Amino acid sequence: MEFYPLQQPEEIAEREKEDAMGAYLMMFAAVAIGLPLPIINLIASVIYYFINRKKSKFIHFHSLQALLSNIPTTLINWVAVIWGVTIFLREDWVITQEFWAYLIFAGACTFLYFIISIIAAYKARQGKMYYFLLFGKIAYEVAYRVKPADAQSTEPVNKPPF
Amino acid sequence: MRTSTFRDLFILLVIGVGLFLGGYLLVKKIGRSDFDLSFKVSYEQEEKLGNLFKDLIWDQFPTEKDNAADSALQQIKDRLIKALDTTAYRYQFTIIKNEQINAFTIPGGNIYVYSGLMKAAESPEEVAAVLAHEMGHAEKRHVVTKLMKELSVTAIVTILSGGDPSTLTQILRSIIGNTFDREQESKADQFALELLEKAKISPKSLGRFFERLNEKNLDYDENLEILMTHPHNDKRIDQVRKYKTKNDFKPEPFQIDWKKVQGSL
Repeated sequence: MEFYPLQQPEEIAEREKEDAMGAYLMMFAAVAIGLPLPIINLIASVIYYFINRKKSKFIHFHSLQALLSNIPTTLINWVAVIWGVTIFLREDWVITQEFWAYLIFAGACTFLYFIISIIAAYKARQGKMYYFLLFGKIAYEVAYRVKPADAQSTEPVNKPPF
Repeated sequence: MRTSTFRDLFILLVIGVGLFLGGYLLVKKIGRSDFDLSFKVSYEQEEKLGNLFKDLIWDQFPTEKDNAADSALQQIKDRLIKALDTTAYRYQFTIIKNEQINAFTIPGGNIYVYSGLMKAAESPEEVAAVLAHEMGHAEKRHVVTKLMKELSVTAIVTILSGGDPSTLTQILRSIIGNTFDREQESKADQFALELLEKAKISPKSLGRFFERLNEKNLDYDENLEILMTHPHNDKRIDQVRKYKTKNDFKPEPFQIDWKKVQGSL
């Protein structure tokens, strides 16, 4: 498998660095709007990804990494919301130990996700790559892999007459 | 997929499971058996509330005192309380003179058993089983949870600061007559089974008493109030049947002349 060479921080434009950082920071605002429905941040990440992925490989990588890492946290928080609603709809409102344990788990996951997102945003602003476990590798592969379609497109469209 | 991707996935799963177990252990360590509405009412407030209801019961129901039945009940109580590891309650068991077969718990660890139930029980172990079940409702704070659901904290505080007696009577009726939900009944059963075993009383007594009453209920008996307030479905009877005592468990029967006790009622 062939990959495009990674750009170094000095080769990346300021605007690109800001856009890459935005992928992580935008999620914070979306979380605030989305509470207690943790879906807005995922929708925002998807929109951000599709708007920005073509701008550059560096932005593509970071916005995809932000989007992918958002999925498990969103699912975990959704389970918490649905579980909470079912308790609320029941007559006795008995909150079990398992539910409290799950809330702590969901809170810890979200907190961990916030921390690594802040680190990633900081690194992106400096023009550096920062790989999350699993999602970093997937995002790198998607953003930097040389696709057959890319190879064809490197052939010049405008050719001299002879 | 690359090996390193699987490794990452594995690490993430380990972190996830670790966080969940950590959360679970933390909840266990804090030690609340149920994080429910009841924690908004302190044990002191609950005791005060219980005292108000006690006075009301004292006024409205005749009770059995200083006879063989009362002393038998105190013996049963002592055995059960000795088997409790810790408790926030000062339990009081009282017999109400009434032919209905029923028992109920009011806030503050005050448990009432009807003389009809004592007559229907074939042994002190069966009464102990019903009382252990009622203690389960107290320990798991089901009574307060139910009150909180029906009244709200503000109403409880108002009652504590000198509530209207007619409201209190209404609430008391609801405590005596209302059922707990299936999950609460099942939790109280589980508590009772474990407590009975610790107190060296056969946990089977719990199932035996209710099964007999269930059979009796086929010929409708209006005194079987306990079946209305404690519906024993098959699942719960099964729970009692499936309960396994430790291998070295040996029940120690009460030294109570049960016929004499029943005769004194």
